[in-house]
Amino acid sequence: MLSQSFSGGIVIPNPHPVEIVEIILAPLPDKVVLPLQQRIGDEAIPCVKVGDKVLTGQVIAKTEDHFCVPIHASISGKVVTIDERTIPHKSGLKSKCITIESDGKDQWVEHKGCGTDFLHCDQSTMIEYIQASGIVGLGGAGFPAHAKLEGIQDCHTLIINGTECEPGIMCDDALMQSHPREVIRGVEILLHICGAQRAIIAVEDDKQEALNSLLMYCHNDRISIEQIPTKYTSGAEKLLIKALLGIEAPSGGFAIDMGVVCQNVATTKAIFDAVIDSRPLVSRIVTVTGSGVESPNNFEVRLGASFEHIVSMSNPNDNQHAVRMGGMMMGVDVKDTTVPICKITNCIFVNNALEKPDTQECIRCGTCNQACPVDLLPQQLYWYAKSENTDKAMDYNLSDCIECRCCDYVCPSHIPLAEYFSFAKALYRKNTEDQYRTDIARERFEFREYRLERNKQERTKMMAAKKEELKKKMANDKSQKDKIAAAMARVEKTKKKKDDAQ
Amino acid sequence: MMRQVIYALALGVVAAYTFFGWGVIVQIVLAIVAAIAVESAFLSIRNRPIKPSISDGSAILTAVLLAISIPSIAPWWIVVVGVAFAIIFGKQLYGGLGNNPFNPAMLGYAFLLISYPLQMTTWVSEFLSFSQSLDVIFNLISVDGLSGATRLDDVKTQLSLGYLIHELNVYSISQSWINIGFLLGGLYLLARKIITWHIPVAFIAGVLVVSTLLFISNDKIYIPPQFHLVSGATMLAAFFIATDPVSGSTTPKGRLIYGFLMGVLVVVIRVFGGYPDGVAFAVLLMNMIVPLIDYYTQPKVFGK
Repeated sequence: MLSQSFSGGIVIPNPHPVEIVEIILAPLPDKVVLPLQQRIGDEAIPCVKVGDKVLTGQVIAKTEDHFCVPIHASISGKVVTIDERTIPHKSGLKSKCITIESDGKDQWVEHKGCGTDFLHCDQSTMIEYIQASGIVGLGGAGFPAHAKLEGIQDCHTLIINGTECEPGIMCDDALMQSHPREVIRGVEILLHICGAQRAIIAVEDDKQEALNSLLMYCHNDRISIEQIPTKYTSGAEKLLIKALLGIEAPSGGFAIDMGVVCQNVATTKAIFDAVIDSRPLVSRIVTVTGSGVESPNNFEVRLGASFEHIVSMSNPNDNQHAVRMGGMMMGVDVKDTTVPICKITNCIFVNNALEKPDTQECIRCGTCNQACPVDLLPQQLYWYAKSENTDKAMDYNLSDCIECRCCDYVCPSHIPLAEYFSFAKALYRKNTEDQYRTDIARERFEFREYRLERNKQERTKMMAAKKEELKKKMANDKSQKDKIAAAMARVEKTKKKKDDAQ
Repeated sequence: MMRQVIYALALGVVAAYTFFGWGVIVQIVLAIVAAIAVESAFLSIRNRPIKPSISDGSAILTAVLLAISIPSIAPWWIVVVGVAFAIIFGKQLYGGLGNNPFNPAMLGYAFLLISYPLQMTTWVSEFLSFSQSLDVIFNLISVDGLSGATRLDDVKTQLSLGYLIHELNVYSISQSWINIGFLLGGLYLLARKIITWHIPVAFIAGVLVVSTLLFISNDKIYIPPQFHLVSGATMLAAFFIATDPVSGSTTPKGRLIYGFLMGVLVVVIRVFGGYPDGVAFAVLLMNMIVPLIDYYTQPKVFGK
């Protein structure tokens, strides 16, 4: 058990605890909707047409962008539409999606990976399998796994993040309890890829069953399992590294800068599947919880199934609901439960719709700076964010805010601080971009002025030179004239002489 | 939160009541009524909703703090004028709660002390009944037989006349009990985590350090440090006035500096200044440099 940790953070007990954390296998959905826009990178281009038959695991869209992974059909059946649909996103964004209607057979494409004896495979082959299988960070960030693993040099420690990112989410806990063998084998694969000396699996101290299951399968002395205090934001990569290793990643830097690679447990299990038998990622474990459902639980569900598909299995009550993807803290509100489950959907919160308490004035009580896990002063930032004084806010390290909303949670005046900060960040970006543009325009203008001035000067110089030349020429001409005149005079003279002689 | 602070003041108020009588309670009631009236009137002029502002308790807290600070036999209009000044010029003109750079109660107190020095320094020396108190406060009858200066004031006058400390009776039972009452109330606030320990501890340390240094340098003309702790408004200031979050420093390190310097100023003003107690001026002076303190005491950000 670790005593050290980062400062700040808040302890929030699971608002809707369950007695036994388990995984319920959700039935195959009748249809799936698969968005082509992934978390980062370009939109994928479909390689199937409407009416095509597809198999489970078949690639249906891909891009040239190296940061992206291909998109696989998550059920077998027929492509019925390729059109714009609402996806789970903060802004209710629409994106191009491929809709597949199930034939109910779930026929898989053939796939074959390194096999259980994976050590004979080299790292790049494994990474290819990981990319081809569509593995992205399943903790909620959705960062492509292969991109984190490529070109690693000097990695000393591999950290496997088994902490739930937020209170209420249980999907990683459930995964560790149900698939401990796959997780441990996945860690061994990752050790092989990263070349790290050791791996640490971080498990929160209230997840005793998960710890026990992992310990039962962990017989590798390079892998250790550490318990860390159950505190919100310990799932954040840099803060977890601080809690485990006592080192702070530099502001603006990455974990790998310090020789650490971090992967989530669910991602690790998916990597195991990808490397061992090149099995594409077509399903994930999703927690359904909240005050609006009677029986919170975890479901293993095909990607692209609607939220409704598993919410309906959790006995929702008849009240008006507010639906949220991700946790109670950093999740995003979605309009309704028709949106599809995607790779980053770790949790669906279905809450009874409640009115938010009225916001009051900030009284600078400083509770927020005690809660801030990165030691910012939210009360000062709020002051500057509210008055749109972004330069001053940057002075107070606005850019280091991880928008974890700990400050919102503890604020006695119910001020949505993180929203102000995210707004101020966007404003700062816009201002600096505008500034950049005006700078460019000014430079262009100044260069033009300079060029005109230079041309003018060159022209005057040239004119002067020409004039000089002309003058010289004229001067020369004068001597010529003189010569001619002299010659003429001579001719005249001789003529005269001749005349005189005659 | 503000309500908890008001509850925590009760012990000190009871102590004051025991020594000065009903006037203490009458002043508090007067102040609260005046505060609600002035705040409501001003909010309606500003076209702001009245109820949330009244129910946040800040105006009432300002009123109670001011009422506790002024003499229990001051005429009724003193507290009314003081509260009105505190609410209007101390808070509403800056845009209401959260935007005021100065502690409103102390601004009101400083205003009263400068404008009406006689009424503000005449304290009662015995317990007054309810009717006596009303008579004194509303009918403005002469209180010559009952009144006198505070012990701090008294000691200061005697010292200026050339008396030495050991010739004077510096301790005052009433002052000590009132301070103990506020100390207990302050500990309650700490236990309930309504205030953090930084400002009170630093404030008391500031008072102790300077008064001890002075006392060591010359124990004939400087009051012993323990006397400073239980006189005047020391404990009220440490736990209830200096800890006002709105006008105070908000960083952990900044709160230590803020509290300590304020404690130092209190003793300096008491000993060398023209007024018997220095809390109000110390608070206002420190309020002015809060932005500076906050800027230079930012905690180290993760990864920097």
